[in-house]
Amino acid sequence: MLKRLFIDFKNGLWRENPIIVLVIGMCPTLAVTNTVENGLAMGIATSFVLLSSEIVISTFKNYIPNNVRIPSFILIIATFVTFTDYFLKAFFPDIAASLSLFIPLIVVNCLILGRQEAFASKNPTHRAIADALGMGLGFTWVLVLLSAVRELLGMGSIFGIEILGSWYQPMVIMILPAGAFISLGILVGIMNYIKRRGN
Amino acid sequence: MDTKISKLILTLTIIGIISAIALSFVYQWTTPYIEKHQVEARKEALRDVIPQAQEYEEVERSGQTFYEGYDSGGNRTGVAMIASGPGYQNIIELMIGVNMNSQQIYGIKILTHEETPGLGARITGDAYKENYVDKPFGDYKVVKREPQSELEVEAIAGATISSESVAKIVENAVEQIQDAYGGGA
Repeated sequence: MLKRLFIDFKNGLWRENPIIVLVIGMCPTLAVTNTVENGLAMGIATSFVLLSSEIVISTFKNYIPNNVRIPSFILIIATFVTFTDYFLKAFFPDIAASLSLFIPLIVVNCLILGRQEAFASKNPTHRAIADALGMGLGFTWVLVLLSAVRELLGMGSIFGIEILGSWYQPMVIMILPAGAFISLGILVGIMNYIKRRGN
Repeated sequence: MDTKISKLILTLTIIGIISAIALSFVYQWTTPYIEKHQVEARKEALRDVIPQAQEYEEVERSGQTFYEGYDSGGNRTGVAMIASGPGYQNIIELMIGVNMNSQQIYGIKILTHEETPGLGARITGDAYKENYVDKPFGDYKVVKREPQSELEVEAIAGATISSESVAKIVENAVEQIQDAYGGGA
């Protein structure tokens, strides 16, 4: 039983990592990873929404008729996203300002809807929790890694703290959208290489 | 077999009602904090753009909201307003404070923007904002070198569009203030 939960949890971290393996939730992945702070905040916000909606949906799945399950899921997800939006604006106004539009857009992040459809609507609550934690953490660590690479190369800093000295000429392209595609592509390539070597 | 339509409607209605009730509580809980941040941000911006003033007052003139700063003797030391205009990606909103006596800008403060981090976003940095400190009223020219005349503004390297957008917003704001306050007064 515990082993089962652990497998569910570990699944999202590596074997079915949402970004590098499933390649879902690309919109926030590309858009907000220009600084580590943004990447981390986005990862945590998405994980929170994922966890809460998986708990609710896996608990009430038997009461939701099949024909309206997608609209129901979206309603539930939107509720938690709106909560997150208000919460960040009230207590973390700086982060809310820099993520602005991307918080409400979590509603349509296919990672969240996808996990409800593929997991929460078919499994008991405790397994859904393990899945949400794994997927959320899996999403977050890749966002943080990606944004660390981009911020370091694009601005010479991490978390806004200067790491590379004034001798470093920042590669501005890394913090622009093109840099997101380039670094994500290389990252997925490296991960796939490691995975294949492991098999 | 398909579930009866009434059950589908009922399900969605129930979820909708529960969600609305829950969110209205969240809204009530967070709104005071959100409003507090906005008021504080505005106050802080006012302190930045009319530095000598002790007290601030909100006034309506020609359909526009202006903020007037008064020193401890009750003399008006400056006028400020919130101005906005298109930037590189979205609307840039800034506060500008001017000295009506010397016909100069005290300074600007960017309130909201969505410029590219690391590039256009440097409009919020001191190096760029310094451009406007003690600048006389007039039409500004954005240049890509050290400013040589009083009306020149030095662009941020790699972010000419953002630099020009801010210059334009500032220019328009100065005009509006001059219109409302009739030049010298």
